[in-house]
Amino acid sequence: MPRLMILFTILLTVGAYLLSKALYLRYRHPLLNIVLLGAALVIATLLALNIPYQAYLPGRRIMTSLLGPATVGLAVPLYRQRSLVRRHAPAIVAGVGLGSLASMLVAGLIALMAGLPREVVLSVLPKSVTIPFAVEIARIHGGSPGLASAFVVATGTLGSVFGATLLTWAGIRHPVARGLALGTGAHGQGTAMAFMEGEREGSMAGLAMTLAGITTATLAPLMVRLLLRS
Amino acid sequence: MKKLQFLCQIALLSGIYYLGNKLALLMGLPIPGNVVGIVLLYALLNLGIVPLEYVQDAADFLLKHLVFFFIPVAVDLMNWGGVFYRYGLMLALAIVISTVLTFLGTGYLAQWLQRGDATCPD
Repeated sequence: MPRLMILFTILLTVGAYLLSKALYLRYRHPLLNIVLLGAALVIATLLALNIPYQAYLPGRRIMTSLLGPATVGLAVPLYRQRSLVRRHAPAIVAGVGLGSLASMLVAGLIALMAGLPREVVLSVLPKSVTIPFAVEIARIHGGSPGLASAFVVATGTLGSVFGATLLTWAGIRHPVARGLALGTGAHGQGTAMAFMEGEREGSMAGLAMTLAGITTATLAPLMVRLLLRS
Repeated sequence: MKKLQFLCQIALLSGIYYLGNKLALLMGLPIPGNVVGIVLLYALLNLGIVPLEYVQDAADFLLKHLVFFFIPVAVDLMNWGGVFYRYGLMLALAIVISTVLTFLGTGYLAQWLQRGDATCPD
């Protein structure tokens, strides 16, 4: 019986992924987010069938077992773009560094001043980086991986819907700067938008996404101590 | 044969991920193992110890479907409905303001540092 449940939850998740991906590819609207849509489909089915969250966990563990190796694979596109990294090193390092710092500091300060519970504050800190980094950063410092992933998707959706307009309005026109801002501010979802602007914007955004993850993970311990020393 | 090669590549990526976790733990770093793993693989590629062909098929495949792995993680939200109900407005404020400032900070600084670049559209 538990085996059957594992099989069911995995098939359900794969089905939800394929369906929401097909919908996204058909309409290509940034509000049709594959992660949120897929998770909503899974949650709705579990609730409708009266299956508790605990019953989903064994399947979840199997499905996410390849997330770590997949994330390590991000070194491959980074390596392929190494000449681009070297050419724009100052803008990349400074831009991604400032953006990562600002994101954590501002989100953390507002959440703290609003009196949110500690676990929620720690989950909002890594909201600008791609999910595999964000969930690990949140987990290490005592936040919730699920909440962190929701904040990441909220940030990415916001950035992919309004990011390009905001940059144009602010007079940020250089393709390298636009790509870096989209990748640092809105991770993979911003990167998808950057690729719609052009190859150079997209490549820079992809780099920025991975580097912002590394930078945020490195700075997070300091930020947690600064904001939540107790 | 092709399948076996692909599985070996997955195993190699998993091994580097495992090593990343172990290293982070050994050094007592509060940094995720996947971050250490990326830096490690990047270094191995640059040093030529791991040729690109040893990992790229598996990496490209996994990255193409990276979003799939996020869905089971986001299912955790089942347990967090109350947080959004109670703190939704403040969370929205924190996310919107910090995201706008991140975009402007990164964008302006990068553009200023690229000001001598000939490919500027101006």
